[in-house]
Amino acid sequence: MSIVIETQNLSKVYNPDTIPVYAVNQVNLKIQRGEFTALVGPSGSGKTTLLNLIGGLDKPSSGKVIINGTDITQLRPNKLIDFRLHNIGFVFQSFNLIPVLTARENVEFIMLLQNVPAAERNKRVETLLQHVGLGDKMNARPAQLSGGQQQRVAVARALASKPQFILADEPTANLDSAAAANLLDIMAALNREENMTFIFSTHDQRVIDRALRVITLVDGKVESDIRR
Amino acid sequence: MIFTIAWRNVWRHRVRSLVIMTSVALGVWAGLTLNSLYIGMGNERLKIAIENEVSHIQLHHPDYAREFTQAPVMNNIQTALNQIETVEGVKAVCARTMAMGMLATATGSAGVQITGIQPPNESRVTQLQTKIKEGTFFTASKPNSLLIGAKLAKKFKIKPRSKVILTFQDASNELISAAFWVEGIYQTYNTALDEVMVYVNQPDLNKLLNLTDQAHEIAVLLQSDDFTASGKNKIATLFPDVKVQTWKEISPDTELIIATMTQASMVFVIIILLAISFGIINTMLMAILERTREIGVLMSLGMNKLKLFTMILTETLLLVLVGCPVGVFIAWLLITYLSENGLDMSVFAGESMGDFGFSNIIYPDLLPAQYVQIIMLVLITALISSVFPAVRALSLKPVEAIRA
Ligand SMILES: Nc1ncnc2c1ncn2[C@@H]1O[C@H](COP(=O)(O)OP(=O)(O)OP(=O)(O)O)[C@@H](O)[C@H]1O
Ligand SMILES: [Mg+2]
Repeated sequence: MSIVIETQNLSKVYNPDTIPVYAVNQVNLKIQRGEFTALVGPSGSGKTTLLNLIGGLDKPSSGKVIINGTDITQLRPNKLIDFRLHNIGFVFQSFNLIPVLTARENVEFIMLLQNVPAAERNKRVETLLQHVGLGDKMNARPAQLSGGQQQRVAVARALASKPQFILADEPTANLDSAAAANLLDIMAALNREENMTFIFSTHDQRVIDRALRVITLVDGKVESDIRR
Repeated sequence: MIFTIAWRNVWRHRVRSLVIMTSVALGVWAGLTLNSLYIGMGNERLKIAIENEVSHIQLHHPDYAREFTQAPVMNNIQTALNQIETVEGVKAVCARTMAMGMLATATGSAGVQITGIQPPNESRVTQLQTKIKEGTFFTASKPNSLLIGAKLAKKFKIKPRSKVILTFQDASNELISAAFWVEGIYQTYNTALDEVMVYVNQPDLNKLLNLTDQAHEIAVLLQSDDFTASGKNKIATLFPDVKVQTWKEISPDTELIIATMTQASMVFVIIILLAISFGIINTMLMAILERTREIGVLMSLGMNKLKLFTMILTETLLLVLVGCPVGVFIAWLLITYLSENGLDMSVFAGESMGDFGFSNIIYPDLLPAQYVQIIMLVLITALISSVFPAVRALSLKPVEAIRA
């Protein structure tokens, strides 16, 4: 098994000069390829901050984030954008999609940014949207989709870029329990069948129960790390 | 797809975008129309100046100056006129004798410039004959006929057949007085000139001045202004001892007026463009503020700065590119219509235009190159004003934008 994500003494301090807040405090983690990991902890424990650091959206105060052997904290801004495009899939809590693009275009867009040829794009868009159960909603705009459907499109989009792993910050927070369960089914199936690595933060016990590894953060520190 | 996103974003706020497009269209329309009006006014001013005052080319003795009471004359006028008529592009020529003098009537006197003209030749070169308001244009067989401007006539209560006394100096500095009979009263666009110019028959004036086949001035009307430069050269080689000048040299103020008007119209265009660009910047900044989260998502996913910049730039340009052709089209329709039918400025300005040597009816005109120039200016404005919002978008940080 190969390590996809490794953090070394990773810290993020807000307001270091006034009242320092250690949002992420000396975190050392190794995530293997194919893991299905939940990041849990009370509100303000640093889940979002940690995911942003791993996703290269935020700069750490100290420590390293190594993805597939590359220390992304050392990348120049333009390289980092490109690295995200080719290596990291994102699913945000809500309003993930570009409102003026259809489901199909939202998924296709990321492949366009990657310069994937048209024929391959079209094939992948259809496969992916069918995979997340939206084969009949391809030409719908986000506003015409339910919250759960939008999140599924976001998952399809994350997959379209063929990333090393997918980061999801509270992907089910705005969904009812049926839609949440459905999204988790799709994510779990992708994890099982395609060995896709997922890290998602959540407060929802039913979602936590589906995870194969649960990392608990308290005050920016890893309190427990359980594999099941 | 960047274009698709930009295009669809334009229509997210239909009303707001339509307002911007309409203002671009209005701005372009106003800029073009205004420019064409100024150009029309300039053309009209030039036409009036050429047809009534300066003609295209004038010939004088090298030492001639209009202010002289006794200006030096040119000789062999009849031969000269015949020779000039054969030059390419020449439509008509006439000769004039001038004298500075006094006009005295029963009610008062005034300084005047007396011009002796050759009526049939003069009529082919200038529009003087058509400006007769009362009386006739040297048709009476009586000697010492005189034409006087309406303003001066009114001042001295002069009517056709009134008698006036002209006093001036002859070649040997003798003071000469002679009685003239008013045959006609004329009125041109240039009321200032109307007050000082009186016209008499050249033979009458020559006789009084002891001149023979001589004159102070030869005026040449060409088929068009395009012949001015070449015509001047050809005439100058025919008469090396004479000073040959174009209307630009004789009346630099006419050229200056036209140049000033072009500049003034450009100032208006720039003010309009500034207003447009404020509208565009405002709208786009609003759009970016509303879409902060969306832009954050695009940045997070890995859309690079160049593509993001292009997207915002495209959206801004689209706003302009929809409005601009509409404005150009409406302006083109209006200008084309007015260039044939004319626009009566007395509706806006009363009769005051005439006081400045302008005609009351102007024919707006705009050359294709001038359309292109203004359209280019609009596009450049759009580009410049889209840079600002685009830079604003680039300055967003993905983490913060996503939280928004
Ligand atoms: N931009 C910021 N400036 C200052 N402090 C911040 C900033 N962002 C986060 N924090 C602080 O860092 C800590 C961790 O926040 P974070 O959002 O990562 O928590 P979280 O575990 O995601 O919480 P939640 O479950 O509510 O989403 C909190 O104490 C928060 O107040
Ligand atoms: Mg959070």
